[in-house]
Amino acid sequence: MSLLELADVHAGYGETEVLSGVTMDVEEGEVVTLVGRNGVGKTTTLRSIVGVVEPTGGEIRFRGEEITGSSSETVARDGIGFVPEERRVFPGLTVTENLKMGRFGGADTAHRRSVEDIWELDAFENLRERKDSRGTDLSGGEQQMLAIARALVAGADLLLLDEPTEGLAPIIVERVADLVRELNEEGITVLLVEQNVAVASALADRVYILDKGSIVYEGTPEELDADEDVRDRHLGISM
Amino acid sequence: MLELPLVTAGETLDQFINGLTVGMVYVLLAAGLSIIFGVMDVINFAHGELLALGAYFAVAITTAGIGNFWVALLVAPLAVAIIGGAMERLTIRPLYGRDPLYHILLTFGLVLIFVDAIELIWGTQPFRPLDTGVLSGTITILGFQKTLYSYFVIVMGAVVAAGAWLVLERTRFGLVVRAGSMDRDMVRHLGIDIDRYYTLVFAFGAFLAAVGGVVFAGRQSVGPGMGGSVIIPAFIVVVLGGLGSFRGAVAGGLLVGVVQSFVRWQVPFLEGLVVFLLMIGVLLIRPQGLFGSPEWHDPGEGGELLTAAGSGVLSTRRRRLLGGGMVAVLAIAPLGIGVLYNSYVVNTIVVDILIWGLFALSLDLVMGYTGLVSLGHVLFYGLGAYATVLFAVYLLPSIWLALVAGILVAALIAWVVGYLSIRVSGVYFSMITLAFAELFASLALKMPGLRAQINPTLDSLGLPTIPPLTNGDNGIGADAITYGLTGGPEFGDVSLLGEIHLYYYVILALVVGSYLVSRRLIDAPFGSVLQAIRESEQRASFLGYDTTMYKRRAFVVSGALAGLAGGLRATQNLGRASPGFLDWLLSGEVIVMTLLGGMGTLYGPMIGAAGYLSLEELLLSNGIDQWQGVLGIVFVLFVIFVPRGIVSIPSLVKQRMDSSSEAPPEGEPAEVSD
Repeated sequence: MSLLELADVHAGYGETEVLSGVTMDVEEGEVVTLVGRNGVGKTTTLRSIVGVVEPTGGEIRFRGEEITGSSSETVARDGIGFVPEERRVFPGLTVTENLKMGRFGGADTAHRRSVEDIWELDAFENLRERKDSRGTDLSGGEQQMLAIARALVAGADLLLLDEPTEGLAPIIVERVADLVRELNEEGITVLLVEQNVAVASALADRVYILDKGSIVYEGTPEELDADEDVRDRHLGISM
Repeated sequence: MLELPLVTAGETLDQFINGLTVGMVYVLLAAGLSIIFGVMDVINFAHGELLALGAYFAVAITTAGIGNFWVALLVAPLAVAIIGGAMERLTIRPLYGRDPLYHILLTFGLVLIFVDAIELIWGTQPFRPLDTGVLSGTITILGFQKTLYSYFVIVMGAVVAAGAWLVLERTRFGLVVRAGSMDRDMVRHLGIDIDRYYTLVFAFGAFLAAVGGVVFAGRQSVGPGMGGSVIIPAFIVVVLGGLGSFRGAVAGGLLVGVVQSFVRWQVPFLEGLVVFLLMIGVLLIRPQGLFGSPEWHDPGEGGELLTAAGSGVLSTRRRRLLGGGMVAVLAIAPLGIGVLYNSYVVNTIVVDILIWGLFALSLDLVMGYTGLVSLGHVLFYGLGAYATVLFAVYLLPSIWLALVAGILVAALIAWVVGYLSIRVSGVYFSMITLAFAELFASLALKMPGLRAQINPTLDSLGLPTIPPLTNGDNGIGADAITYGLTGGPEFGDVSLLGEIHLYYYVILALVVGSYLVSRRLIDAPFGSVLQAIRESEQRASFLGYDTTMYKRRAFVVSGALAGLAGGLRATQNLGRASPGFLDWLLSGEVIVMTLLGGMGTLYGPMIGAAGYLSLEELLLSNGIDQWQGVLGIVFVLFVIFVPRGIVSIPSLVKQRMDSSSEAPPEGEPAEVSD
């Protein structure tokens, strides 16, 4: 049984259908990346999992139980941690308060951490030093780290990361990538939407390509690397 | 010249204490208002009524001998907190996700219900202030004798405000509430059910307001109008301090209290004006208020404005026929006098409906078509009335020119107000227009005082003095002015059938003409741009339209039509204009009519006016004293269940019937109505 399964999911905004049948799955302990050009529905896929967009068709299952159309808070309490593209750190709250918010909600999973546990991790050293800074005063990289840390405090078993490296300096990108790898080694499953193909293939166990609202390719990063035709057709890039 | 009285340190302190005392009541009221807005985007017009309820409960507790002032101070706020929580659960909850406009409308309806409920239970006679026991004694500080109560209010206000601040800063509840005001959806993504907190937040705000009410009742008499009298200053406090900011509410409340107190003391004729000037000034320089930080506040998805456009079931041709038929019926209505009804029906009710219909139509142009919710539309109506009357009094007693003057003045002020306020959007726009309207309303009242201050100076400089412009409370107008159409120089005595004047037809023609002009405007490209702005201002501006300019133009046209409505009303009112023409409740009523009928259709608001006024008339003529409350209930039900208004009912019914006979319920032809 896969940890997360999407079966023929349709979703959209108003009358515009963005997802026209997305089928994919994420096994426990994997890092799966979802790549594709802009506007093909990557973010919408994540949003339909976390209850922002209600699917008009298809099924979403988490640990075998159907969560299609569940509310955001229910999904979070099931152990899915959502780290949105804009990071959405609470701007007027301090770093500590942001983490406490994760603690108040979330799921009591094996991976759940306390705020103190976060300070123990080397990856969050910067955050520890800026405990009392407000969200608005953090750099983009710090905000990204905080958004991930908050999801950990909320007890995420499955992390949904939407373009975590977007707009970050190369050295920070590396730190984020290292963190994702480290978390995965501890047993946290990751579904990663990523534009940075280098990061995507370095982290991923498997890669899905989304094009015009449906999955058009599935394979390992090595397979994708070897398939120039697929990359040309669906990504318009060469690695 | 202005002569400032000699001031002493003691007097200054005295006024300062007075200001802080009043300011504390504002702080208690504004803090709840601000938190409720910050977290839920709800502008709670009924907040003043929650304060009033607190005061009345305190009166009830002490007069029934259940307890003394101290018991009341504890029990009344708790009772009001429960009512506040229930209010959120039952009425406000169904509206989350809709445009904040609907909260304004809903809570406006609740105000009507609360006021009538209070009158029903406690009557209209004011109660004496509460017996505050030991606190009614006096104490002398720095040579100034004041009641102990004044100091008590300040200390208690400070303690309650500090307590509320601690709750917000130090508790889990407070943290979730603050996070919710910044990014509600992210709170949900962390697995926190924020909806549960909303009820608590509302109860918390109601509690603070009620504490303010009890405190208030210890100083002043308690009457049914108290809620209405504190809500506008409270809004000013909230906007001044920054919507959603607790610190802002505290600072703003004390500032307004102290400024009011000093102005009343030193420059009494500016009392009432200064706070509005303060608010307009702050909003123009710092639209987010003193402590507001818009980047911290997430306005949520916004929610759409539910217009009734396209919800009709009739074809354009049939609609035209129906409209023409309506006009024809109105044209021959006078024939039925004495047979079917008396002249009161035509001369008063129908004329009222026509004039209010025009006023509602003018509002629809900005609210229904550009999404700008003007809470100060009464300004243009009132200015139109005053300008029309003043023109006739001082310049030429011609009704035609006087009406034109009313239109022009209203349009001019609409241009100025629009120029200054359309730069801010959403709730801030609503508030700034409300402030402008209240500014002029106070000005109308304070005019005699201002004249008394300024005229001697002008006179001594040999300049012409200001003639009486408003006569304050009494209003202005003269029996000597007879307008041409009921009898007078232009037409002689023109009456039809003995009781109907030609003026009836003039009003009918002007209202129908205004409708046709508006319709033409909306069907032209101009109207399409306005609707594009309502749907998405950003997209309209990306297409290269100067959206601000379009909105300003619509605002001017709307102001002009409202000015005409006001002018017509004044002429109907025996040529008198009075401060009642500028009462902010009229702004509320016209919004109610617009929504009741169905906004974004032009004819809907006119139907809304007819429905509202007929219902009012029906209730009044049947001797139902609680007519306001009944209207409030009808209105609240409409906001929740029929947000697209009366004109959408046929399509709702059709949908019902279609879906019961298994046809698909959607797919109404989205035609532009006529």
